[in-house]
Parts: sequence; C-alpha cells; structure tokens
Amino acid sequence: MLRDITLGQYYSTDSVIHRLDPRVKLMGTLCYIISLFCVKNPLGYALCALFLCIVIALSKVPVKFMIRGLKAIILLLLIAGFFNLFFTPGDPIWQWKKISISKQGIYMASTMVLRLALLIMGSSIMTLTTTPNYLTDGLEKGLGFLKVIKVPVHEIAMMMSIALRFIPILLEETDKIMKAQMARGADFESKNIIKKAKALVPLLVPLFVSAFRRANDLALAMEARCYRGGEGRTKMKPLKYKKSDAFAYIIIFAYLALCIFLGRMLFS
Amino acid sequence: MSIILDHLCHTYEAGTTLKSEALKDISLKIDDGEFIGLIGHTGSGKSTLVQHLNGLLKPTSGNIYYNGADINDSDYDIKSLRKEVGLVFQYPEHQLFETDVFSDVCFGPKNMGFDKKEVELTAYSALETVGIDHDLFYVSPFDLSGGQKRRVAIAGVLAMKPKVLILDEPTAGLDPAGRDEILGLVRKLHKENGITVILVSHSMEDVANNVGRIIVMERGGIFMDGTPTDIFARSDELETIGLAAPEVTYIMRALKKKGLDVNTFATTIDEAVPSILSALKARKC
Amino acid sequence: MSSIVKTEDLTFDYIRRDEEGNVEGIITAVDNVSLDVKEGEFIAILGHNGSGKSTLAKHINAILYPTEGTVYVDGKDTSDIRNLWDVRQCAGMIFQNPDNQIIGQIVEEDVGFGPENLGTPTEEIWQRVEESLRAVHMYELRKKSPNKLSGGQKQRVSIAGVLAMHPKCIILDEPTAMLDPEGRKEVIRSIRALNDVEKITIILITHNMEETIYADRIFVMDKGKIAMEGTPKEIFSKVERLQSLRLTVPQVTLLAHELKKAGLQLPDGILTAEELICQLS
Repeated sequence: MLRDITLGQYYSTDSVIHRLDPRVKLMGTLCYIISLFCVKNPLGYALCALFLCIVIALSKVPVKFMIRGLKAIILLLLIAGFFNLFFTPGDPIWQWKKISISKQGIYMASTMVLRLALLIMGSSIMTLTTTPNYLTDGLEKGLGFLKVIKVPVHEIAMMMSIALRFIPILLEETDKIMKAQMARGADFESKNIIKKAKALVPLLVPLFVSAFRRANDLALAMEARCYRGGEGRTKMKPLKYKKSDAFAYIIIFAYLALCIFLGRMLFS
Repeated sequence: MSIILDHLCHTYEAGTTLKSEALKDISLKIDDGEFIGLIGHTGSGKSTLVQHLNGLLKPTSGNIYYNGADINDSDYDIKSLRKEVGLVFQYPEHQLFETDVFSDVCFGPKNMGFDKKEVELTAYSALETVGIDHDLFYVSPFDLSGGQKRRVAIAGVLAMKPKVLILDEPTAGLDPAGRDEILGLVRKLHKENGITVILVSHSMEDVANNVGRIIVMERGGIFMDGTPTDIFARSDELETIGLAAPEVTYIMRALKKKGLDVNTFATTIDEAVPSILSALKARKC
Repeated sequence: MSSIVKTEDLTFDYIRRDEEGNVEGIITAVDNVSLDVKEGEFIAILGHNGSGKSTLAKHINAILYPTEGTVYVDGKDTSDIRNLWDVRQCAGMIFQNPDNQIIGQIVEEDVGFGPENLGTPTEEIWQRVEESLRAVHMYELRKKSPNKLSGGQKQRVSIAGVLAMHPKCIILDEPTAMLDPEGRKEVIRSIRALNDVEKITIILITHNMEETIYADRIFVMDKGKIAMEGTPKEIFSKVERLQSLRLTVPQVTLLAHELKKAGLQLPDGILTAEELICQLS
C-alpha cells in the first residue's frame, strides 16, 4: 500500500517534459492550479483535463502510474465528494427524511472531485518528470530573489531534496518495523481507535530512532564531502533556459489566459 | 507436527508493470525439530518465503499448512501461529522501542495474552537464555552495545515460547565473536529446547557448521535441498549460481588430487583436521 | 615515501552528560595511538565492535578532534580550523550504511556532490564524475536512482563520490558490514584497484578477516589502543591472540593452525588455500 504514493517519486525516462527547465515546470504547475480554480463550467474542465492529458502523453509516464497515485488519496476524494453531494443546498432531486441530494450538489461534488483529481495528477506530473534535485535547483534559482530578505533558500532547497530522497527509504523501513512488531503479536488492524493509537507506539518509536540515526549519518557524510552550505558551491547541472523552455512558457500562459477567459465568460 | 508448503507462489505488485515473481511454485515440508539453513542471493526470495511461514505475507497462490491446518483460512487464529512460529528479522535491534530492556521483551508475550506473571516469567527466562546480565534488565535498550541489542531483540521473540524459530541473517554486521555468540545461542536453542530452527544466511561456513539440512534458493525457486554433505558435494552446481561450498571442502578436494586420501565430504574444520591427519599418517607408512 | 596520515599520541574521550549537563562519565575511546601511514599504502585496521576503530577513523577526516595529541593529514594539523576543508578533501571517507551517505537522487548527481561543494567548474565536474564512475565500474548505471541499486553498487557509488574529490587517501569505515558476499567482493575489488592503479592510500576498517589479507600492514585495535601491528602474515600467525581480541582468522589460516596444533610441521601465517595445499603435499 505504501508503495502507491506517487507524489514525490521520479519516473525515469526521456521526454519533452522531462527535458524542460524545472522553473518552467514549477511555473506551469502553479498556472495549472490557478487555472483549475478559474474555470467554472464544463467546457473549462474539459479544457483542463485535455491539457493534462496532452502533458501526460508528452511525458511518457504510463497512465497506470498516474492512476495509482490517485489511489492514495481516494479517501480524500470520497470525503470531498460526500460532503458536497449531501450538504449543498439547492433543488432536491432525491430526498429521504432530512438527507437530500440536490442538482447543485451533484454538480458541486463531481466538479470538486474532478478538480482535486486533476490537481493531484497535475502536481504529480511535475515530480514524476523532474528529478527532485532539479526540482530543488529550480526552486532555489526561481526563488533566489528571496535571499535578499534573508530567506535561506539554498538550505530549504537542500532540506527538501534530502527529505525526498529519504521518503522511499523510510517507507520501506516503516513496512519492515510494522512486520517485525506484527511477528511479535502487535495488532495494527484493530478497529478500536485508542487501541490503534497505542499500537502505533512500537512503530513510531523505532521509526524516529532510525530517522535520527540516518539524519546523523547523513550529516556526517555530507560534512565529510566538504558540504558547507550554498556559499562557493558550483553546479553540476546549472539551469539554463533553452528555446523549448521559452516555447513552453508561451503555451502555459496562453492556456492560463484561455482558462481565465472561459471563467469570465460564464459570469458575463 | 510440521510445516508444509504446497505449490506456493508470491508475486509482488501483481497486475502492475512493476510486478515481480518473488516465489515460484515452492513445495516443501519442514519437520519438527529440524535445523535448516536457507541460503541464496539477495533477492532470491528467502525473506519473502520466511514471511509466509507466520502469515505476514499471503501467498498469491498455493497453501501453507501448519500442523495440518491451512494458515490462510479465514477462521485460522493467526495470532497463535505468530506465537508458535517466531520470526526474527534482519537487524532485529531496529524494532526495540520500550524504555527498558525488560518491558521490551515483555511486549510479545503480552500481545499473546499471557497473564502478567507468565509474561514476566517468560521474559525473564528469555533474557537469561540469550545471556543478558541482570543489571542490564532495566537500562534503556538504546544504551546497549550492538551485540547486546541484537540478543535482546531475539529474546523478545523467544519470550513468546515459539516452537519454530526463523532467523533472517541474525549475524549481519556483528564482529566474529558476536557472530559466534549468536550462532552458539541458536545451536543451544535447537539442541536443548528442541526448537525447530530455520536460519537464513549468506555464509556457507556458518551454515555448514550448524545445520542438518540446507535449502538453496535461486530466483524464487528451490535450487537444492539436502544435507550439507549432499549439497556441497554438488559444489559445481552451486557455482553456476554464484555460490560456493565452504573453503575447507575445496582444500580437501585439492589434497585428494595431490594423492592424499582425505575425506572430500568434510565441510568443517573439525571434520577436516582428523581426516588430513590420518591421511598423512597412512601415506608415511 | 612521505607520510599521508600521521597521529601522535592521539587520545579521544567521549564525555557522557546527564540531563542537566553534568559530566556522568568519561569513556576513552582512543587511547594514546600513534601511527604513520605512507602514501600509497593499503592499511587495514581490525578490531571488534567498540574497540575504537571508528572513532580513530573519524579523526582522520576531521569529524572529531583529538582530546590530546595531534593528527596530521598530508602534513596539516586537523585541529586547525583553517585546514578543515583541505583535510576533508585530501582524506575522503566512506561509511558503513550504504543508504545513509548517498545524497543525490541519481547516481551521477550524487558523485557530483563533492566537487560541487569544492567549487569545481561545471565542465570539470562532469569529467570527474565520469572518471570516478568508470573507476568503480558504475558508469553504465549513472542515470539510475540509488534506491534501485544493490548494497554493493551503492557503496561503489559512494566510493566514486569520494574519488571525484580527488583525494590522496580514502578511509573506509566498515564499508562491507551491511553487504552480502557478492557486494563485499565488488567493494573490495574496487578498493584494491584504486590502490593498485590510482595509487590512492587506503585505510580499511573492518572486522572481516578475509578482506585484510591484501593489506600492506594491519593494525589491530582493542580498548582504544593498538594491540597488534604487522603484515597480514605476522598478524594471522597469532591465532590465539586474535581470538582473545574477539576476532578470528580466515578459514584457511584456522585450518592450518588446527593442523599445527595437532602436531603437523607447518609454517605460521598461511593465508591462502594454495599455500596450505603446497605445504601438505
């Protein structure tokens, strides 16, 4: 189950999207999120979905991989859908005692679920096609101007990059400790909430101990390799805009403009 | 009393592009009181196999019978199985979590529903068995040395009084003396307490010195199954999968080639020494 | 030949403090150690767990500083803060856990991490990364995620990562302890090649005897002190002494030792099967 989380996982292949500058992809993701909240009509959603489909197709990431990422947040989707379905006031089309489903409810629920799903897939396409190192490079350079107001941009980027590298390792470790405790009779499947919380102690304590040990080891290893912060560091893969990046920017902004335009149209 | 594996298969990530067949059609019978060495490369399926034996993993197909009952039946009491079939994972010290050694060892028996007195008794005797001093019972497990931590973790499984004990590379990362201590402990458990032991290992030497039966795994299947002598006599087959007989066996064969009449089935130093000595004596006559 | 690593009366105390910060106890992890490693040597430091060998290693990379005594790396005092980065660049370090020392998400990015820190120009970083990966035979896997590699491969990536910083000396702190036999062989082969071909000084810390038989010199540590010193032949001829230090000898040596105890005339310190067979027949 833990392997299903696609967010933060890099899918290694070579595609147009993979080759884009991370800053473009960051900006693209931001624009995509904005666009999702701009559109208000089915045509707009269709446009959003179409745009995402084209990007996914270009990225060569298997659709299966994307769907699997959605599995992890299926509960979130269901909850969002549920609340919107039953608690949106409007013209009821089905009623049972105090519970009712309205036309608006159905519309709200479906757009909400669609919006969330698109949002998750849209952002995961960024992490799937960008090595976290590039991603943090992109953040570091893209947000470099914040250094002027003393924001430790390099340090934050490095922390993110390390966190991303250790997520799969810690997930595997969680799985292992869980099994080891189950072999000693621990019950992680109990329905009782208090019991469930209690059962987490034998899992969380070893996990934290291990995380601290790893952090300590890693800090030593980084120092041993002369890491001393961002000062005086050169880049193995310095970021440089190419022609394709400029082209991508144009497409992204055109897309965003179109979405905003479609959103406005509905109101006018 | 036995464990029977009947056409056991396990596929990770079944139905996805990442699917990998970890176990392919394994049939096996493990009798009471056996001492088995399970050998194979990393990724040969050893760890996957042992996790089936106490129900931590469910087979994709095939059945596992413990004392005649199918452990994956919906009404099978999986907790009692985990009590009887103890599994010590690789680097078991990573599972320690309590504030003191004694409470950590109590965790298993407590989960098994033993009453308070019995919990303490079994924990006490388990710690004694693994040779932890009394004055260490109430210190934090995190303050112990690596070898001690490992023994405490093993005690945590022993405290459930298992009838079958599976150890996944129990000596990994220990120094030679620490390794000998653990192997000595395992030998003792088998001999004195009559526990069935399955020892997962990379080291032919460790296995040759201890077990009565070796199972060699390769690519999710059973490659060989027999006594150490049988297995090591077929060392050329072992070599095809990148494993080898203990060095002693090779030395004995080379000596035989040189005309010395030694026992080429010797796998341990204890067996080799008298054989070489008598062969040398015979030659002098 | 000039000395690359030199310790003079090195002593290191771990100070244990209770919650209020009062000194609870002092453990002397390294006790008055003096050793001198020449450029190009292959040194093995043996010792059981807790013998102080890792603490000693961390001094050479200026991760720890001596409580008493001095450590010189390439003639530079490691306690002098001005020498810190030179020392770390000159004496690279590999640790035990293959997972906890890889920073990059992709093999080549990890190997580039060291040179990046040193401020090496981009073009040269790429050159160094390629050279280093080729030296440990990992060039074909340069685009892989480290999480997809075997333990032995991960350790070789770490070695390449240090190599890319162009060190004169590499200290390896139990690099094979968490590996399977296959991985062990890979790593030891790489280390020996670096020593033979690139003439890099190697300090290998281990408790696995088989790995040390190719060393020029072996130091055996116990309770923070150097308990034995000599060539592999000299060290392995003292089987009982090693066993009393919680160590053992390679299987062949042990067999020869047992035969000798039983009354056979054999020379001391037999290290390989060929030697023993030759002696017996």
